Amino acid sequence: MVSEQRRSNRPFVIALGVIAIVGVLALAWSATRTKHGVTDVDLKADPTQARGYLLGDSTAPVQILEFADFECPACAQFATLTEPDVRKTLVTTGKASYRYFDFPLPMHKNTWAASNAAACADEQGKFWEMHDMLFTNQDRWNGAATSSPKGALKGYAQSLGLDVPKWEKCYDEERYRPRIASNRAEAERRHVESTPTFVIGGKMIASAITFDQFMKYVDDAEKALATKPAEPTSAGTPIVLPPNGTAPASPKRP
Amino acid sequence: MLVALIALVGLFVATYLTLFKLGVIGQLVCAVGSCETVQLSRWATFLGVPVAAWGIGYYVVVLALSVAGTMERWEASPSLAVGMVLLTAWGALFSLWLTALELFVIHAICQWCVISALLSVSLFVVALLDWRDGRSYTADPANAAG
Repeated sequence: MVSEQRRSNRPFVIALGVIAIVGVLALAWSATRTKHGVTDVDLKADPTQARGYLLGDSTAPVQILEFADFECPACAQFATLTEPDVRKTLVTTGKASYRYFDFPLPMHKNTWAASNAAACADEQGKFWEMHDMLFTNQDRWNGAATSSPKGALKGYAQSLGLDVPKWEKCYDEERYRPRIASNRAEAERRHVESTPTFVIGGKMIASAITFDQFMKYVDDAEKALATKPAEPTSAGTPIVLPPNGTAPASPKRP
Repeated sequence: MLVALIALVGLFVATYLTLFKLGVIGQLVCAVGSCETVQLSRWATFLGVPVAAWGIGYYVVVLALSVAGTMERWEASPSLAVGMVLLTAWGALFSLWLTALELFVIHAICQWCVISALLSVSLFVVALLDWRDGRSYTADPANAAG
C-alpha cells in the first residue's frame, strides 16, 4: 500500500523538483544579470562625443554622471525625491557637477520622444526645467498613459515659456537624435545595465540611492582626489566636457 | 497535487517580484505592460510589507498544506480540503482586487502580477474541484484533495 502510494506520488515529486530547479535557476540568472552593485570604472577611457547635459560648474572637483531613462519610474522617483537635495547641497555649492545622459530603454515606448523633447528644450537653455517637468508628470505622457505623447510634451514646452514653434520644429525633425544616441552609446560603453545608474568619482552605482549615500560617494571621491591630486587616472578625475560645445575637450586636471 | 505545483510556480513569481522590490534584481523582464510602474506604486506595499512578500507567505502556506494533503495521514481530510478552498478563495479575491487596482487606479499592468493573479484563481478552482471530488469519493483515497 505504502509502496503503491510512493509510486503514484513519483511523477508529482519529479514535477515539483523540475519546477523548483527551473525556478531557482531563473531567479539566480535574474539576480546576477542586473545586479545592483558597485563596480570600478575605467577612468583611462577617453571621453566620447557624448556630453550629456551639464548642471553646475564643469570644473567642480567631483563629477556626477547619471544615466537615466525619462520613462523609468525609479528614475522619476529619484529625480523628484532625492535630486533636489543633491542639487542644493552639492551642485549649487560648487562641490560637484551633475551631468545627465539619456539611456532610453527599448521597453519604454515614449522615452525617445521625451529625450527628444528635452534635447529641444536644451536648445533654448531649458533642459533641466524640461527634465523636471518630464519626471514630475511621467505618468501622464508615458507608454502606459498614451501612444502619442507629443501633445503632453508640447504642453510642457508651452508652460516652460519656450518658443513653441521653434521647439516643435526641432521635435518633429528629431534634430538631436544623434546626440541622444551618443549619450546612449556612452552608457553602453560603460556597461550600464539598468537605470538610474550613477558614476560618482571612480565608482559606478547601479541603482537609485539615498541622499546620504550620495553624500558618502561624493565625500569618498573628494578624499580620493586629495590623496592623488595630480594623477589624471585617479578615482575623482573629472572628464571635462564643454557644457554647450560640440567637440569633446581633452581631459583637464582640477 | 496540482495545487502544490501551481503554488510552487506562484512562489517563484512572488519571490522574483520581491527581489526586485528589495533591489536585488535591477530590472524586471516585462514584455507586456509596465511592471516597474506597478511595483514602484504605493499599492505595491501592504501594511508596510511589499505585496509580493505577502505573496511568498501565501504561496508557502498553500504549498505546505497541499503537500500535506498528499500524505496518507491527511489525504482524505475533509477539513484540509475545506481549508484549502477558503484560503485559495481569499487569495483569488485579493489578487483580483490587486488586478482591479492596476487597471483602474494605477493605470498600468504588470505581467508578473497578472500571472500571479491567474495562478491564484487557478488554485481556487483546483482546490474547489478537489474538495468536490473529495466529497464524492471520500471512500477512495486516490481521489482525495491534493
